[in-house]
Amino acid sequence: MKRTIIPVGPYHPIQEEPEFFQLTVEGERVVDMDVRLSYNHRGIEKLCQDLTYDQIPLLLARICGICSASHPMAFCQALEDLTGVEVPLRARYIRSIICEMERLHSHLLWVGLAGHFIGYNTVFMWAWKYREPILDWFERAFGNRNHYENFCVGGCRRDLPAEEVEPLRRLLDGLVPKVEMLTQAVLDDPVLRVRLRGIGVLSKEDARLWCTTGPTVRGSGLYVDVRANEPYAAYDLVDWKVVTQEEGDVMAKAVVRLLECFESAKIIRQCLDRMEPGPIRTEVRDMPKGEGIGHAEAPRGETFHYVCSNGTNYPDRYKVRAPTYVNLPSFKSQVIGAELADAMLIVAAMDPCYSCTERVAVVERRRGGVRRLEQEELLRMSWAKTDRIRRQV
Amino acid sequence: MADREEVIARVERRLSGLCERFRRRNERRVYVDVPPEHSLEANRALFDEFRARLATASGRDTRDRVEVLYHYCFDEVGIVVTLRTWGLKPEPTVDSVAQFCPGANFVEREIHDLLGVVFRNHPDPRRLILSDDWPSGVFPLRKDYPVRGGEKERARLVARLIGAGEKP
Repeated sequence: MKRTIIPVGPYHPIQEEPEFFQLTVEGERVVDMDVRLSYNHRGIEKLCQDLTYDQIPLLLARICGICSASHPMAFCQALEDLTGVEVPLRARYIRSIICEMERLHSHLLWVGLAGHFIGYNTVFMWAWKYREPILDWFERAFGNRNHYENFCVGGCRRDLPAEEVEPLRRLLDGLVPKVEMLTQAVLDDPVLRVRLRGIGVLSKEDARLWCTTGPTVRGSGLYVDVRANEPYAAYDLVDWKVVTQEEGDVMAKAVVRLLECFESAKIIRQCLDRMEPGPIRTEVRDMPKGEGIGHAEAPRGETFHYVCSNGTNYPDRYKVRAPTYVNLPSFKSQVIGAELADAMLIVAAMDPCYSCTERVAVVERRRGGVRRLEQEELLRMSWAKTDRIRRQV
Repeated sequence: MADREEVIARVERRLSGLCERFRRRNERRVYVDVPPEHSLEANRALFDEFRARLATASGRDTRDRVEVLYHYCFDEVGIVVTLRTWGLKPEPTVDSVAQFCPGANFVEREIHDLLGVVFRNHPDPRRLILSDDWPSGVFPLRKDYPVRGGEKERARLVARLIGAGEKP
């Protein structure tokens, strides 16, 4: 059969971020793929070498607009690993609350987008509506809808205001039944079951070989979650469990994310109950020479940071590895053999975040390509498949 | 669940003939220095025999040589073992891990682009980070790479990135 090369990108037609996929198809079936990244260089690792340790978390929060707490979290842990500073108990609870609120809003964002991709625009509207109060709460409590991270080495910069605790409890009371309703709707929908089951399967062995992390790997049944493997913040002080699924397909990844929302709500409630007044920051008195490693579980997977200190106030080398950087290459093992109408859904199921991954240089792709897919066409193909299944079911 | 001490002892036994130095920095962090001639075997041992997860690799320019650090997570016991190997300038060369671990493909290409480490037997040594028209032999993350503009220009760039401070 004749092979056709389909370029998707360098600006993602659905997720509206820069990356480039080259899919080789026979008819409607994908037989090979290649991916190119790094269209949008920001040079953050190089910049970090010229910033003091106090300034770096502010810059790292700007790596990503969605998981803006995870990168500073991993940074602070790398520095705490290096200096041996103990974080006060109250700060550990605040860190957990912020990270879990972030997971909630990130997963809801993803549910909405995924719904949009397969033609369920009601899901899109609902999920994003439920997400909104979380951002509003962040703004009231920490001053910003997106940059609420407020972490510093040795603790937190700002305390959780006492008057925002009750609104947070009320917010969760309102949010959890709605997410329950959404989860039930997804699990019970016969069309969704046919549409999402069995596509984009990532086997256990492939998940290991491609070193994937986060919901992508937990959907394949591997117990990889930094919060449980190497507990940080307050995760060893509260009761929760790691959500895994065995199937490894798009449905499994969606279920992992939806069920994680309930675990997050559980963690936040326990943190609020157990928190006691106290100091929120330990001062770092001196910066030894040496190396530190910190990792944190972002909504999309493990964020891994490495720092090498030369004893001055500036790091000698700072390395950031975002979760999408390891999840995206595994797209190759998931997409080969899939239908073209599913390809972009499979990428979406990994919840890729290009702004995290793209920290390094500008690349230009030479013009060319046989068939070009625009946003409308990709969406139309995906929606048409859902419609076809809906008629059959 | 396997015991943390036991796992570290097993790793130390396995790598004892291969490494120059085995250092336990604290309870959860281990650093192993492996000379380049043994790095392939040591990496294979950690990835295939211990089935550790390769979190990522970092490159670091130490002026006369370029170090490559492979960070392995042992998720059941929550430790990170960092395997450090190196290549000497002007053309640092290290055996590629991507030949048996596809997950290392991207990061080795990145280290090649930014720090100029040549990975021997890499299955796909194309550029990843730098654009095709970037001059060859120029590595932006090396210490000798000139940064344009100096102090003031950098301060302005940072202010713009974090959305604060003086207007350009």
